[in-house]
Amino acid sequence: MSDLPPPSPEPTSGQPPSAPPPMSPVGTPPPPSASSARVGPQPPGPLVVPDGATVVVDGVSKSFGALVAVSEVSFTVGPGVTALLGPNGAGKSTLLRVLCGLTPPSRGTVWVAGGNPRTSEEARANIGIVPQQDGVFERDTIFDFVHLAAVLSGVPDPSEASMRALAAVEMDPNLDRPIGAFSKGMRQRAKIAAALVHSPTVMVLDEPLNGLDPKQRRQMIDLFHQLGEAGVTVLVSSHVLDEVERFGSNVLVIAKGRIAAKGDFRAIRGLMNDQPLRYRIECTNPRRVGAVLLDSAMVNGCTVNDSGDLEVTTNDAVAFRTNIAQICVSQEVRLTGLTPLDDDLESVFRYLVGPS
Amino acid sequence: MSVSTPGAFTALYKLVLKHQLTKGRAFLFVAVAAVAIGISFLARQGIDDARDKIEASAFFADTFGLGLVAPVISLVLGSAALGNWRDDETMVYVWLRPVSRWVIGLAATLGALTVALPVTVIPMTIGSFIGTNGDMSMVRATATAMALATLAYTAMFVLVGLLIRRALVWGLVYVFIWEFFIARGAEGAARLSVNSYAKAVLARAADVEIGFTNHSTAASFLVPLGIAAVAVGLTAWRLKEANVA
Repeated sequence: MSDLPPPSPEPTSGQPPSAPPPMSPVGTPPPPSASSARVGPQPPGPLVVPDGATVVVDGVSKSFGALVAVSEVSFTVGPGVTALLGPNGAGKSTLLRVLCGLTPPSRGTVWVAGGNPRTSEEARANIGIVPQQDGVFERDTIFDFVHLAAVLSGVPDPSEASMRALAAVEMDPNLDRPIGAFSKGMRQRAKIAAALVHSPTVMVLDEPLNGLDPKQRRQMIDLFHQLGEAGVTVLVSSHVLDEVERFGSNVLVIAKGRIAAKGDFRAIRGLMNDQPLRYRIECTNPRRVGAVLLDSAMVNGCTVNDSGDLEVTTNDAVAFRTNIAQICVSQEVRLTGLTPLDDDLESVFRYLVGPS
Repeated sequence: MSVSTPGAFTALYKLVLKHQLTKGRAFLFVAVAAVAIGISFLARQGIDDARDKIEASAFFADTFGLGLVAPVISLVLGSAALGNWRDDETMVYVWLRPVSRWVIGLAATLGALTVALPVTVIPMTIGSFIGTNGDMSMVRATATAMALATLAYTAMFVLVGLLIRRALVWGLVYVFIWEFFIARGAEGAARLSVNSYAKAVLARAADVEIGFTNHSTAASFLVPLGIAAVAVGLTAWRLKEANVA
């Protein structure tokens, strides 16, 4: 896994019109702070390419007849791993197809790694894709399949690049059976190798872990992180929450064709002030602390769980966190732990898109 | 990053070629060759006059070769060249590469032609040789007419395979309804038929009447070549505009 193809240099041409002064890179995986997350769909406007961004999607909608698959989507992504999360049918694959130029948007603008991939060969040269569909050139060997991708991408030494890409996904380049004879997991890894063989600056991976066993999943997630750390923009879609949490904390949540939230999912959760937050308080006298909290109206409700810890829900998380230590001191109760219970991706997802 | 056109073309051409030949198709091609040669051999048995042999051979090359073998073989191979990639959703692996669209269209057409030409031209040419007792002007005319028709049909059907699903079905409808019946029954329709231009080459060489073939020599060659060139151009344009799965 250490022989990753080096990332291509940053795009130098194909700047979209009216490029604004540089901004801070939105897409770089942000620290878990509230300021790094923005909730809700963004209004369309002139195309803005923030400094360091490699993917800019601006006011993009995509309809198929009367069906609106993607509606008014705007976001920017930069180097690092970003997970596109949404339930089946949310519009993830359509959005990724638009992003790669495979289908034109009905409205809006896409800019990826130097241009519009629908019209710019340079932009396409900088993209590596793992499509969701299972189809591969069934009569090719795995090496031929990856080699073809290298040749068509203009890689100077396609054989050497193919060997390295196959090594990165831990596949033997000498397997001489046709690719159609292999398991879905093997084909999936071959697709990943073909996507990275030309050292793209942007990798678009649509449900890339489908068909992989747990060990292979872990290896591929490690690979995506290595690519992200090497400066590649890795945009990976999934409808499996557990997977997305392992991809990292930077997410784009899509539901019903709209971006429901983007940024660090913990920060997104922090911004959702209209949703009650749950905390677990570990202390030496949970009943006394619970009574005081209820009297102060700082919490909406509280219970003592089976472990004897106090669980509270609050609509004013800031006031609660600021005062809880002081309350414990005033009640001569020893506070040993304070844990947010809604700080996981599943809670964020549940709040944003409703119960699955 | 710019991809060398020869390198990309060669890779795509080989890919098309590799996926053209299946066992089923190979069986079909052998059967077509056997039928073409077999009928030519049987047809000459009852004919003594050299002139009659030439006319019979021209008639056979027109109806079986230009009416059936060239369009159907071209349809099977041409519609699959890009149509299969679209149907099995592997087009994305070619489309999303920095390769000119005309390179993809040309590689697909030439890949299909590389298989189609021997299958259509060689058996019919051998058949012509057998049927005419080695009349070389008829042999050359048969080979040329089959090659021209195969070229135009293959390029057309590569485009059709990209444009519509179930291209094989619609292509057969076109071949049998338009080319085989309507265009052979009306002079105006014949001008819009690939078949009539290739047939004109055959009619001139054999000096026989085989339907509406009053095209000039130049038109007999240029129209099929033009159809092929336009079809490749339209394929490239369609690839540029395509929605890729």
